[in-house]
Amino acid sequence: MIKSRDFFTQAVLLSPKLLMALLILPVLGGLVGVLLPAFGYIPALNKMSFSLEGFTALFNTPGFCQMVLLSISSALASTLLAFVITTLILACYFNSPWLYRIQRLLGPILVIPHAAAAIAISFLITPSGMISRLFSPWLTAWKTPPDWLLPHDSWGISMILGLTLKELPFLLLMALGALSQADLGAKLRAQHKIAMSLGYCPMTAFFKVVLPNLYPFLRLPLLAVLAYASANVEIPLILGPNAPPTLAVAIMHWFNDVDLTLRIKASAGAIIQLVLTVILLVSWWLLEKLTKRVSQTSIINGKRDYAGHLVMRFTHATTFILISCVVLSLAGLVLWSFAGYWRFPASLPDQFVTMHWHNALMQMHTSLINTLLIGFAATFIAIIFALFTLEAEQQRAQSLSRFASLVIYLPMLIPSIAFLFGLVWLQEQVNSQHALFNVIFSHLLFVVPYVFLSLASSYRRLDPRFANLAASLGATPASVFWRVKLPMLMSPICIAFALGLAISFSQYLPTLLNGGGRIDTITTEAVTLASGASRRVSSVYALMQMLLPALAFALAWFIPKLLNKYQHKA
Amino acid sequence: MNSLLAIKQLTIWRQQTQLLSIDESIQGGEILSIMGPSGSGKSTLLNWLTGMLPHQFRAQGSLFLNQQDITQIPSHQRHIGLLYQDPLLFPHLSVAGNIAFAMPNGVKKHRTDKISHALEQVGLGGLEQRNPANLSGGQQARVALLRVLLSEPKAILLDEPFSKLDSQLRQETRQLVFNQIREHQLPAIMVTHDQSDTDAANGKVINLSSQENTYA
Repeated sequence: MIKSRDFFTQAVLLSPKLLMALLILPVLGGLVGVLLPAFGYIPALNKMSFSLEGFTALFNTPGFCQMVLLSISSALASTLLAFVITTLILACYFNSPWLYRIQRLLGPILVIPHAAAAIAISFLITPSGMISRLFSPWLTAWKTPPDWLLPHDSWGISMILGLTLKELPFLLLMALGALSQADLGAKLRAQHKIAMSLGYCPMTAFFKVVLPNLYPFLRLPLLAVLAYASANVEIPLILGPNAPPTLAVAIMHWFNDVDLTLRIKASAGAIIQLVLTVILLVSWWLLEKLTKRVSQTSIINGKRDYAGHLVMRFTHATTFILISCVVLSLAGLVLWSFAGYWRFPASLPDQFVTMHWHNALMQMHTSLINTLLIGFAATFIAIIFALFTLEAEQQRAQSLSRFASLVIYLPMLIPSIAFLFGLVWLQEQVNSQHALFNVIFSHLLFVVPYVFLSLASSYRRLDPRFANLAASLGATPASVFWRVKLPMLMSPICIAFALGLAISFSQYLPTLLNGGGRIDTITTEAVTLASGASRRVSSVYALMQMLLPALAFALAWFIPKLLNKYQHKA
Repeated sequence: MNSLLAIKQLTIWRQQTQLLSIDESIQGGEILSIMGPSGSGKSTLLNWLTGMLPHQFRAQGSLFLNQQDITQIPSHQRHIGLLYQDPLLFPHLSVAGNIAFAMPNGVKKHRTDKISHALEQVGLGGLEQRNPANLSGGQQARVALLRVLLSEPKAILLDEPFSKLDSQLRQETRQLVFNQIREHQLPAIMVTHDQSDTDAANGKVINLSSQENTYA
């Protein structure tokens, strides 16, 4: 490949290195910034010697073991549950149009921020929530809300429900994405048919023939989901138990405490959180190996039906309940946001008012502007970096190294609570005092992986002959990039932009920490309002959280169509 | 001036194995046909000619276009036009936009006149503002040809250019392309699977698998 030496090519070839630095430095720096205080080194508090006092304090915290157990059990249970239900849905509807209908019903949950989803679920299961209202009084004979501890139950069941509902659509989408790869999907479907022609029931055929070949495509998404569930903050904060909370939530409280010496304990906690997440990932991997070993013989034992009919019925019921949960949560949220007076067992409010929307919209314009400003800035930078990095890949005619791809997905795999505090410390060290800039920068870390992931396949799939042809017509590399590739990729770029916005809109921890609590967005306000305040105002904020990404995706769908029409108006 | 494309003592290796070796000169209006089974290095040769040889390959030799050594010149400065089996019209541009993209910069009025005239010449008059996706296969092939020709190339490469057209259309399009090449006195290299293409080209044929040169 004869390279051109113009400015554009040089800039493009440099951008992967720049991107690597942009991701590695904050994440590694952040980890160092947590590691030092964890071992007692905080110059700001005049502690310059290394000690283990942070860890001692941590282990002596009442309920520490419970926190760790809660984090582990909720992450493992929700991931396992989401995985099992995903495979059941895939197996049950593998050859049915319902598979894509279910995906379309559950898909929108993907872009709903965790906080909003948690708020919606909490309104579904609270004593005076939609579930108890729907079944009262005709079935339960309740005249007053029942006395149950949902959400915030000490077993973490509400939290597990919340995590499962949020993870399931993601896993399903990843599986369907793998199946939509032309060669793989067709091959697996044909093999499924062969197994059925050999007398296997559709369910067994799926588990014995399709799943072993499909699983490799689900491994990374599963690990990402597991890592996320183990260290997530919003869902346990809104749905999880309070005394004690999960480890991640406890760490956040300690870091935010006015007592700065608690930072040592918090940093030690962040290290333990990191270890905990790694242990979970390794356990999952071991579990996978074990399952593979155990199932080796049963795959070829010739048994063709394991009560497939019953399992199918069970799956129908589970799917129905899941979708009902989603619909009911959303309906409840909408009803609350318009509710006037609402007696307990009544399924509908006595009166509908627009007052809550009116009041909330009057108050939220600062946070709305912040949300949009941060989202657009972070996404714009992320898109430029992603596009230039992908272009560099084509200019060098070789794909990104494994190391580089790993680095891009680093912020997805490392628990954010483990390095964000370090990043705050790092930003203090370089004296970066502009809160808005710090927040945009921290959002960028989380937006880049998703934007890159979403752009990469379409960019790499674009027929290279278009670029060759444009070059043979005398177009410079810059002109090929701007005038041929980008217009042809308008749709995927718009989708990636919407996804980036949705990711940025949903960030809670980076906004809170890197903004030093001075930057309010819709999401931080929603989380604050969820604990306490009015259920009606809270609904409005949660709905706003859902409307913003929905609007972004609607525009991403609409703008390319409009442009296309404009380009070919004749 | 008589144009000339000269491949001087070219050898291409994949890792340590020699893939092909060629030493040829093509005069303006002449069409050199390259035949051979898949894997024989046809597309590798085209990649080298356009300056897009992937890393896995190593090449020795040089390429001269009208006495100028262009071996180390990047693709977009070589003035070598490309015609693929698919028309590959840019979907975001109109028919006229596709051709204008290829043309050298100039006065707008002059450019649009030239496009309209060229379209009329190949029986596509009045289709300037159409979306290329709505044209028939034969019409798209003709637009693709105009796009290459109006970019004023000094040589032209044809990568199995007619293999996706049905036989009636194939003959017509082939005649049109070859006539244009001869009319513009362009040196051309055509990679093909089809004997009837090489017969119609009526020039030298190189068979890459056997590396024996024959004359049609």
